[in-house]
Amino acid sequence: MDLENQNRVKNMTEKYGAENLIVLLGAAEAEAAGLAAETVTNGDPTYAGSLTGVQLGLRVYHVVEPEFKEAVDSAVYDEQIGMMEMVLDVDEIIAEMSSMREQYCKY
Amino acid sequence: MVYPVLKGAGYALINTPDMIMQNGTTQTTEKIVNPGSEYLKALPEHIRSYDQVVNYAPNQVYIGNMRPESLRSYGMPWHDKGAENATRFGKFGEIMPQDEFILLMKMADAFELVMIEKDFMEQAREKLSGHPLFKDEAAALPGGVEISEIEAALEQHAEAVYHGGNLVGCVKKAHDVDTNLSAHVLFENIVAKASGTLAFKHLIDKNGIDVRDVQYVIECSEEACGDMNQRGGGNFAKSIAEKCGAVNATGSDTRGFCAAPVHALIQAAALVQSGVYENVVVVAGGATAKLGMNGKDHVKKGLPVLEDVLGAFAVMVSKNDGESPIIRTDLTGRHTVGTGSSPQAVITSLVTAPLDRSGMKVTDIDKFSVEMQNPDITKPAGAGDVPEANYKMIAALSVKRQELERSQLPEFIVKHGMPGWAPTQGHIPSGVPYLGFAKEDLTCGDLNKVMIVGKGSLFLGRMTDLFDGVSVVIERNPGEASEEAGALQVESSGASQPGQPAKVRIGLTTLGSEHGIENLVAGAELAAKDNSGFEIVLIGPKTGTELEVAVADTEKEMYRKMEELLDKNSIQACVTMHYDFPIGVSTVGKVVTPGAGKEMLLATTTGTASTQRVEAMVKNALHGIIAAKATGIKSPTVGILNLDGARQAERALKELAAGGYEINFAESGRADGGAVMRGNDLLQGTADVMVTDTLTGNIMMKVFSAYTTGGSYEATGYGYGPGIGENYGRAILILSRASGAPVVANAIRYAAKLAQGNLAGVAKKEFADARKAGLDGILKSVTKDAGKAKEGSSGEASPPPKEVVTGEISGIDIMILEDAVQELWKNGIYAESGMGCTGPIVRVAEDKVMAAAEILTREKYINAE
Repeated sequence: MDLENQNRVKNMTEKYGAENLIVLLGAAEAEAAGLAAETVTNGDPTYAGSLTGVQLGLRVYHVVEPEFKEAVDSAVYDEQIGMMEMVLDVDEIIAEMSSMREQYCKY
Repeated sequence: MVYPVLKGAGYALINTPDMIMQNGTTQTTEKIVNPGSEYLKALPEHIRSYDQVVNYAPNQVYIGNMRPESLRSYGMPWHDKGAENATRFGKFGEIMPQDEFILLMKMADAFELVMIEKDFMEQAREKLSGHPLFKDEAAALPGGVEISEIEAALEQHAEAVYHGGNLVGCVKKAHDVDTNLSAHVLFENIVAKASGTLAFKHLIDKNGIDVRDVQYVIECSEEACGDMNQRGGGNFAKSIAEKCGAVNATGSDTRGFCAAPVHALIQAAALVQSGVYENVVVVAGGATAKLGMNGKDHVKKGLPVLEDVLGAFAVMVSKNDGESPIIRTDLTGRHTVGTGSSPQAVITSLVTAPLDRSGMKVTDIDKFSVEMQNPDITKPAGAGDVPEANYKMIAALSVKRQELERSQLPEFIVKHGMPGWAPTQGHIPSGVPYLGFAKEDLTCGDLNKVMIVGKGSLFLGRMTDLFDGVSVVIERNPGEASEEAGALQVESSGASQPGQPAKVRIGLTTLGSEHGIENLVAGAELAAKDNSGFEIVLIGPKTGTELEVAVADTEKEMYRKMEELLDKNSIQACVTMHYDFPIGVSTVGKVVTPGAGKEMLLATTTGTASTQRVEAMVKNALHGIIAAKATGIKSPTVGILNLDGARQAERALKELAAGGYEINFAESGRADGGAVMRGNDLLQGTADVMVTDTLTGNIMMKVFSAYTTGGSYEATGYGYGPGIGENYGRAILILSRASGAPVVANAIRYAAKLAQGNLAGVAKKEFADARKAGLDGILKSVTKDAGKAKEGSSGEASPPPKEVVTGEISGIDIMILEDAVQELWKNGIYAESGMGCTGPIVRVAEDKVMAAAEILTREKYINAE
C-alpha cells in the first residue's frame, strides 16, 4: 500500500477510532487487494510504511464484494463499478479479502 | 469537411545497455539509497546482448518486421523465444546499437556539450558510415578527445557516457548553478532529441517524403528543455526539425504525460484540416530515466532486464491525398475535468462517447490501439497485461451497452485487440505504436476503422490529481480528395451501408413553440421512430427523452449552439422557429394539397429573396427548384401563382429558360392552361414548385397546415422549409410557433432528405447554371422596370458612415423596406435592412432607434401607434 495512504489510514484511525472506520479498496487484482487489506489489519507486510507492525484490525472490503454492493444504490453501483465488476476476477478477490478479514479483522 | 490523412510513420528502438545502469532512475536511486545492494550486483548478469535485443519478437513488431498479431503464436514469455528472420532494419525503422547512437548524441549537440573519446569515436564512426541515413553526417563529425579531457570534465559534474562498461564520453553541464542545465538534464534532453531525430529520419525515408514539405513539427516526449527562468521553455520540435533538414518547418512541444502523442496527433490533424499547414510531423524520442524501471522484478524473477531500449516514433499528418487513411477529427474522445476517475467513466469518455456522437457501436471499430505496453515486461513486474486489461474494459462496456454478448468477450479481445509490443517508455506505448500498421491495414489491408487511445497519469506531476486521456478514430479513405467528395464523406459516415442513403444528423431547437417543448420533443420522437438514415439532436433544455440533447437553457444560447453545430458539421441541417436570414434568402415550404393529396413546394414562405417583388419571385422560383432537386425530384414542374407581377416573373423565367437554364413549366389545370397558376391549381397541387411572393406563400402555408384544426394548431405539411439563397451555406429549416408535432416530425424528415441530397451543393450548381443562362441581366431588367414604375422616387441616397446596428424597427412593408433605409440615409442615420423574427426590419444604431422611428412615422413608412 502506498506510503502516503498508510499515513492517512493511521492518522484517521487515531482521530476517529478504529471501530468507526471501514476501508474500501478498488485494487484490480486479488493479490494487490489482499496486500492492502493485510496492511490495514495486520500491518504493512513489506515493512516500508508507517503501518509496519501496527495491527489496526480495521474492517476492510473491496468494492466488488457483496457486503459493499448491497449497501449502495444499485444504479450508482452499476454506473461506477458495473463495468469493472465484469472485468475483474471477483471470486478470487472475495476469497482473498475474506481470508484477510478472518485472520486479522478485530471488528 | 475534408479530413486530414495519416501519411506515414517511422519507428526506432535504441538498445542502450550501459544507460540502464548509468541513467535509469530505478538504478540511480538504488545507488544512492542502497549502494551495495544485491540488485545492483546482480544486474549486469541480466543485461541482454544487442543481438538478443534485435532477436526479440516485440522489438521486431515495433519496427514493422512482424505483425502484432503474430506475437500470439509465440506463447508467453517471449524473451526466451527469439524471433524468425529478425533483422536490424524494418519497414518502419530500425533497432540501433548503443555505440552508433552515442555518435547521434554528438550530432544532436549544438553547444559542444558532448565529448567523445577519440578511439571510440573512430570505431563508431566507421560503423555509422555504413548507415543509409547517416553516412554523410558520420563523415562530417569532428574528431574525438583524449580520455583525460573527459575525466577532467567528470570532475566538473559532467554526466558520463559508457559503452561496454568503459567510459567513452560525457555530457557537460551548461551552467554552474542552474539545475535545468545540469549535465544530467542535458544528457536526457540530448538523448530525447537524438532518438527523436532517428525516428523522424526513418519517417521521411520510409514514406518517400520530401523533408522540405514539412511545415510544422509537434514534439510530444516527456522531457523538458529550458533553463531556470523557463524550465520547460522548449523547443525539442524545432531542434529535431533542424537536424532532419526540415528547413521550411517550425514547431512546438506538447506535453500530457503518456497521452501527449495522441494529443499531438489530434492537434496535427486540426492544423492540417483547418488549412493552417499541409504537412505536420508528430515526433517523440525516448527516455533514459525509464530504462530498467522494473529491473528489480525482472532480476528477482531471473529474467533479463527487458527495459533495455529507448523508443522513438514519428508520424506525418497531411492534407487529404484521396488515398491515405483519414483522421476523423469529428470522432475524438476526451477525458474532461468533469469526467470522473472510475475506469468506467474513463472508458466511456474515451471510447463510447465519440462513437455515440455518430451512432456507432463499439464493434464498428475494427481495431483499438490502447496503451500497447509489452506484457512480457509488465506481467513479471505485477502490472498485468495492460492492453488486455484495456480490451476487457472496452468489451465489458460494450456488453453493458448490449452491443455484445457476455460470452463474446474473449472473442472481442482477440478480434478488436492486439497483444502489446511497445517498450514501457511512457508516451511511446500510448496508442501510437500501431499507426504504422494502421496506415497499411486501412489502405491495403481489410480494416475500415481503428481507434487510437492515449492515457496519461497527470497526478505524477503534482499539479492535479486528475487522470487524462484522448482518442481519435482513423478510417479508410473513401478515395476522393476534392472538396465536394469530402462533404459527401461526412454524410456517409456512421453505420450506413453503400447504396443506402447517407446517415445525417438533424438538429431541432426546442424553445419557442406556442405548444411547448413537449410538442417539439414529441415531434422529434415521432420522426425518430421511423428512423431512416438520420439521427436527431435536440438543442435546448434537458428533457426526459432518449434522444441526444445539446443543452442550451436560453434562446440566445440555443441559436448560438445551433450555428456552432452546423458550422462544425456536427449536424448537417437544423429545424428551428424563426431565424433571422439575411436578405437574399427565402424558405421553401412543403405542403400536402387537399385536392389531390399531392406534395407541393411553396416557393417561398418566409425570408426575403429580394425587396422587389418580381425579382423576389424569380429568385423564389430558383430556390424552389433547388429544394425540389435536393429532395430527389429530378425535373420539377414550376408554376407561378397568379399574383401581381406574376406575368413579369413568368417572362423573366422564360427568358432564363431560353438562355439555357432548364425550367419545366407546369400547365394549369384550368381550360386555358399556361404556367400561371390559379387558386384551383393550388388545391390540386398542379406544380411541384409553386412560385409566389413570400408573404402570400406564408399565408398559404398557414392555410394548408391548419385548415383542419381551426387555426391555432398546424397539423399537416412539412413546415416552412429551408432558407435558400446564393452563397448561403447553413441548412436551417423553419417551423411556425404554431406547428404541431406531426409537422415537426415532417420538418425533420424534410431536413434529412435535403441534407442527404446535398442541398448546398445543389444550390451552388443551380445558381451557377442560372447565371450562365443570363440570370444577372434578367434580374437587372426586372428591377429597372420596377424602378420606372415607382413614381416620385427621389434617387439613391448615399449612406452615412457605417455604424453597429443592433436596434430594430419593425412594421415596415417589405415592398418599401429599401426606400425606408434610403429615407434614413437621407436624414443622416445609417441603417440596414434585414429580416427579423416577425417580418422585415430596419436596423439602426441602438441610440438612434427613437429618431429613426420618428422619421419613418413622419414619412409614413410605419403607422403611428
